[in-house]
Amino acid sequence: MRISKLLQMVPAALALTLSAPALAGDGAGPEVPKAIKGEECVEPTSDMRRNHMEYLKHHRDEALREGIRTKQYSLKQCLECHVAPEGDPQAPQDSSEHFCMACHEYAGVTIDCFQCHATQPKETASFHPLVTPGMKAIKDQAGRSGELLNQFAESHASKTRTGAIQ
Amino acid sequence: MSEDTNLKRREFIGNGAKLAAGLTIAPGVVVYGLSEASVPDRPAEEPASSERRWGMLVDSNKCATGCDKCVTACGEENGWDDSEPNSSPEQKAQWIRKVELRHKGTGKSHSLPMMCQHCENPPCVDVCPTNASMKRADGIVLVDRHRCIGCRYCMMACPYKARSFIHETLTDQEPHMPRGKGTVESCTMCVHRVDEGREPACVEECPEQAILFGDLNDPDSAIAQALTRYDSTAVREDLGLNPGVRYRGI
Ligand code: SF4
Ligand code: SF4
Repeated sequence: MRISKLLQMVPAALALTLSAPALAGDGAGPEVPKAIKGEECVEPTSDMRRNHMEYLKHHRDEALREGIRTKQYSLKQCLECHVAPEGDPQAPQDSSEHFCMACHEYAGVTIDCFQCHATQPKETASFHPLVTPGMKAIKDQAGRSGELLNQFAESHASKTRTGAIQ
Repeated sequence: MSEDTNLKRREFIGNGAKLAAGLTIAPGVVVYGLSEASVPDRPAEEPASSERRWGMLVDSNKCATGCDKCVTACGEENGWDDSEPNSSPEQKAQWIRKVELRHKGTGKSHSLPMMCQHCENPPCVDVCPTNASMKRADGIVLVDRHRCIGCRYCMMACPYKARSFIHETLTDQEPHMPRGKGTVESCTMCVHRVDEGREPACVEECPEQAILFGDLNDPDSAIAQALTRYDSTAVREDLGLNPGVRYRGI
């Protein structure tokens, strides 16, 4: 009897703690940056919220182990639409402005993808629609894109930030 | 003209057209950024198939002593060139290295690039406890870093010293080549480029055209033709690993 009462209280307590940060903000949950490209995602938003990790996991095995290179559920493709490349005015300056990180930080769910995967699409891709004239000018100065990325990483590292993107 | 030759001629014209399409769309309109025609050899939704076996033939007679353009190209393409600032040269990732061989008796020396040999019977795959080391259907040997636990058994098993372990937290990976601390890596034969119908970076950058890349299973491919025409050796042939990378002139 007591235990069941306790159990009943758990969701209530959870709801309270979860809503605390939301109340501190505008009360509407995490501030997730809008996609920079496209009108709709590869699946309905509600489905993506719930199942994106399953899609990604399934795709990663197919892509790496079998060589199936479809774009629909590729992490690289998520970033193409949801995150601007470095140097772009819309590029995230810290993790709270990064599409994946903003929500994961809010939900308190660790994300391991970015220990290995790039956090942003690459600005050098010749046909990348996001390559702006400004970007090109920076690129010409920096020479190789790796140097540019390093410069960027250094300037980022010198800023003190909470919850850095890895 | 026999039917056979006709077919060959048509294929030849077809290939020529594909090549031209990659560079110019209309007279005067040049597409920049495409240095060669890239026609994927299969649709994106199709898995790699064992009908192909990708391989390389390195001509050490052409490979110039002191040149390391292939090494630089690989490092830049895959992002391992200066990614670990706090590691010693022995610790740093090295997917491809230049090796200098000298015959003790005659003094004749050879230069050649050495990388993962993409063995048909890879010992790295045999020893891996997690199935992270794997051979794709088309013969490309890869590390599935989603599974790799960094035990480094494969590094010990590889007779070519082809694998590296990453010691540092990395930040600016290439989007097409995820890499991270605590996992092992080696030459991927530029699998991301191969799947797009492009050649590996080292092959493209070699100024001497000393590396030939192609499908060993296709008797009409330049590499298969060269292999029937010239003597070639696998390094440590005695081990019976049947590498996909072979050498001429050693
Ligand atoms: S060369 Fe080494 S890493 Fe490459 S397939 Fe053979 S054993 Fe594995
Ligand atoms: S280091 Fe990784 S790839 Fe190598 S044997 Fe261990 S788990 Fe397998």
